Amino acid sequence: MRENKNALITGASRGLGAVLAAFLAGQGHDLVITARGANELKAVRTRLAGFGGAVTAIEGDMTDPAHRAALIDAAARLGGLDILINNASDLGATPLPPLAAYPLDILRRLYEVNLIAPLALAQIALPLLQKRNGLIVNVSSDAAKGGYPGWGGYGSTKAALDLVTLTLANEADGYAAVSVDPGDMRTVMHQAAFPDDDISDRPLPEVTLPFWAWLFGQNRSAINGGRYGAQSEKWQPVREVTDETV
Amino acid sequence: MKRSELIFERPAQLAATTPAEARGVERDSGRLLISTPAGHTHAQFNELASFLRRGDLLVVNDSATLPASLPARGAIGAFIVNIATDYGGGTWLVEPRQSSSQPGALPLSAGDRIVIGADDGIASDGRIAARLIAPYPGLPRLWFIVADGDLRPVMAATGAPIRYGYVSERYPLSVYQTVFANRTCGCGSAEMPSAAYPFTRRVVDSVQDRGVEIVAITLHTGVSSLEVESETVEQHPLYPEPFAVSAATAQAVNTAHASGRRVIAIGTTVVRALESAWDGNEVHPARGFTRAYIHPARGVHVVDGVLTGLHDPVTSHLAMLYAIAGQDVIRAGYAEAVRAGYLWHEFGDSHLIMTR
Repeated sequence: MRENKNALITGASRGLGAVLAAFLAGQGHDLVITARGANELKAVRTRLAGFGGAVTAIEGDMTDPAHRAALIDAAARLGGLDILINNASDLGATPLPPLAAYPLDILRRLYEVNLIAPLALAQIALPLLQKRNGLIVNVSSDAAKGGYPGWGGYGSTKAALDLVTLTLANEADGYAAVSVDPGDMRTVMHQAAFPDDDISDRPLPEVTLPFWAWLFGQNRSAINGGRYGAQSEKWQPVREVTDETV
Repeated sequence: MKRSELIFERPAQLAATTPAEARGVERDSGRLLISTPAGHTHAQFNELASFLRRGDLLVVNDSATLPASLPARGAIGAFIVNIATDYGGGTWLVEPRQSSSQPGALPLSAGDRIVIGADDGIASDGRIAARLIAPYPGLPRLWFIVADGDLRPVMAATGAPIRYGYVSERYPLSVYQTVFANRTCGCGSAEMPSAAYPFTRRVVDSVQDRGVEIVAITLHTGVSSLEVESETVEQHPLYPEPFAVSAATAQAVNTAHASGRRVIAIGTTVVRALESAWDGNEVHPARGFTRAYIHPARGVHVVDGVLTGLHDPVTSHLAMLYAIAGQDVIRAGYAEAVRAGYLWHEFGDSHLIMTR
């Protein structure tokens, strides 16, 4: 019998996180999932039960070190981690203010949620990831590069997260790290950013499934350090590895 | 572009239902329609070389065809599974169908367990258990599945070439291999990259004798896409396919461009691969999955022409041909093909479309 694969997903109660949890459960992963909304999280766990794998759901705030430690304890009980997905993030002040008027207390808190928390989780997850040649996925955004007016707070946290990801990748020893920009999606966060817009023309987060199927099927060292667009025109390994066929 | 712009009348009887092998003729005995801005010409495929110029670069797809259609069963009973794409790590995109002629839709759900391969599977590599993960976004007839082991030996043991209703007989896999197929990697296409089906060794020789260079890309095709149903052509979901453009092929294309020579894709798969490897200035070596959807709004930058079969109404392939040569040329060419009784589908006639 094959050793079971495990994944830890933050922000898993809705949107992209919930879609990722269902896909990984479908692939046969045992999961640790977390989010702040207990009821939504429980509902996701119930939906995933049908796939037959173990699902540990722990409600909490990612900026709380004790919560992060509890997640890693749960992953350790599964025997290791194949995939860590740092998906949870905040949008910051809404409606999106220009940087000239950005409330700095909100910005500090945003960096805690979007940058410090995922790095902190990765730090304590590394021993479990190294057991499995695991993969860290940090969910980024087009706003990390765009310089879009109003997006300076959120975008700068994601730009910083991109550099954290790349540096983790360059320091990698027994694991790999990638950034993923999922692209525009019809999510609660997207609606919060555009409260007055009709976003029904945006695709649901399921649109990214083919990308995740591709990413999780790649040789880990071939994608290490990559920054991918889940809805971009092509997905390529960042380097050749000898055992790979097309 | 509106969906209605892809509509034309193709009489049902204009379908090739048997391969050349079954008719006892050479593959190159089919017809060849040549469409250029100057007009349309009728010829035989084995005269291809006379429509090419010294210095032309032909780019072919060297993907082999897999025995990708397998029996399957589950709680809903027996059905067939056409394997579209290997995503790695045991995850595959597949199309469960009622039968080769009936697509479904089958009442399947995420989490369902199925067995793929021969029912009577005495040999252990004759079947494999798998689970449905999720339907493909926007194309719910396709499913991601995870297999309990390696699906490839099961394909080799119990698979047959994918066949649709208009081909009534079963033919061996060799009928579905083109002369360019690289059969050394164990990987390949769900469906034959059929533009190259009519190439025979003698046609290849005559083309090369003309001073035409032939290079290859690799693109592993998935299963055939259905009609565009969305209001606009651009909204139609196309799923990605694995592709590779080697450094040598990228170089050959860039050199042809630099010296003003024509680049001719043998098949729509080659157009997709080459356009995916274009960075705005030149073609780069590339390897991965491409979602490129070539339609008039996106445009075409690498190829000067394409040799392909005749495509069904309301398909995304037509949008690609419009992008290459313009809707007027393609519509006039198709009217000519219908008038002259050309045959559609993978064993049918050929169409060389050149922009210069």
